Amino acid sequence: MAEQLLDKVRDVAEGQIDFEGQKLAELLANVALTLVGIIAFAVGYLLQDIKLAVYIALGGTALTFLIVTPPWSFFNRNPVKWLPVGGPPQPPANIVVNEKSLR
Amino acid sequence: MYSSLVRLQNTFGFFTTVIFVVAAFIAVSDVVTPREPVVATLKTNQVQVVRGRPHYYSSKKEEYAVIKFSLDADLSSLFTWNTKQVFVYVTAEWPSSSAAKIAGNVTENQAVIWDTIITAPSSDHLANLGPAARKKLLKSAAGKAIDPSRGKLSIKNQKPKYQITHPSGKIAETDDVVLKLHYNVQPWVGMLTWNQDIDMFRWKKLKNGMSKKFALPAIKKKVEAKKTTAGTGK
Amino acid sequence: MLSSLGNPRQAAAQLMNFGLILSTAFMMWKGLSVMTDSPSPIVVVLSGSMEPAFQRGDLLLLWNRNIASETNVGEVVVYNVKDKDIPIVHRVVRKFGVGPDAKLLTKGDNNSADDTELYARGQDYLVRKDIIGSVVGYIPFVGYVTIMLSEHPWLKTVMLGIMGLVVVLQRE
Repeated sequence: MAEQLLDKVRDVAEGQIDFEGQKLAELLANVALTLVGIIAFAVGYLLQDIKLAVYIALGGTALTFLIVTPPWSFFNRNPVKWLPVGGPPQPPANIVVNEKSLR
Repeated sequence: MYSSLVRLQNTFGFFTTVIFVVAAFIAVSDVVTPREPVVATLKTNQVQVVRGRPHYYSSKKEEYAVIKFSLDADLSSLFTWNTKQVFVYVTAEWPSSSAAKIAGNVTENQAVIWDTIITAPSSDHLANLGPAARKKLLKSAAGKAIDPSRGKLSIKNQKPKYQITHPSGKIAETDDVVLKLHYNVQPWVGMLTWNQDIDMFRWKKLKNGMSKKFALPAIKKKVEAKKTTAGTGK
Repeated sequence: MLSSLGNPRQAAAQLMNFGLILSTAFMMWKGLSVMTDSPSPIVVVLSGSMEPAFQRGDLLLLWNRNIASETNVGEVVVYNVKDKDIPIVHRVVRKFGVGPDAKLLTKGDNNSADDTELYARGQDYLVRKDIIGSVVGYIPFVGYVTIMLSEHPWLKTVMLGIMGLVVVLQRE
């Protein structure tokens, strides 16, 4: 029971996303943070206001974390299609690993 | 990037990179902003030398120079978005002795006689002021991100903050003393900079930042000294 | 981590990697030290005596070579008092003489009195060799973590707790 509960908590905490989602998350994080940096500098320089630049940078970063960190559903649109258990016929055996054949 | 923790770590890692790059750009933006500090007047009003003790419990008697001065300067071009404060200070400088000067061994003495901290609106909350003065300062900056007008200094017949002496305890009748204005720009991030003696790219040297040479007088006679200290009730 | 113990080559590689990180950090620190001629080229501000210029936790980059000119009045220097181990960041306000024997007096911008009281007994002035560097660069706030951790020890417990939680919630 406790084990099952822990497993559920782990699932929530882990927040897995699929491979396409991982690619998207990385791209989003990099683009968003770069944009935030550019905007913070440009606005700060043009208005000569360093406090505003800091607020933009921190706010934008918080927003980026919010977008990227949780396992939003749009990161899980391309779930991996696993082969069914005991599915299609096995390829001919003798897979060689470390010069030892496996059967 | 498969789990939340890894995404958090990676995003934080890139965030630190971005912050450092932006900080570097902010620091560099100072270099392309022109600086044209000018001093209109820097002159002494009243110079006297008095006898005194370094502190209350000392029995040692030393000579102290009290230099009153006037200053008109425009340092407004030093205030940009990356300026946290400008530390403005006036020094008295003199060669050690005329004998050493002739020998080509000019021993300089420098001592700050007055200084002031000009904060920018972005650092007003850090200024070391009483509540009333702070309120006034914050009010003066309402709605402003930078306030270059604070760099316009006009000071008449200013009493020195620091009475200066020499390690030998003797300072009366010193010749060839000059007052010099200096400043130190403290950025929010980047390099600390001081006034320059030469033009550097877009930063001009501090013009006219030195007073005429003057001599410190002999020690003031006791009668007169009493008169000036009468106000303190001692 | 534990599984790698079975494979000595992998364990050795991991050990090397760890050593590489440590020695790189050490080399960079010492290299900077040689370049700036300062035993401690980066310092964290620990006191408020230079406010509003420096707050506690700000990072200062030091330079200890006199190439263009000597250490002069108006420079902010870090110095060590004889027999005391705490470096102090203050501004030079008086200088008498030139060369290594010049007498220097310092004062914190936020202090009303000069530093004579802070110096060793019988010492009225600093000399050049007491100074371990002049402040040339400034990065705000970055060093604050060290101050937080040393002043609020319970934060260490909190950090350990978070790390433990992460370990528990992670699958192999």
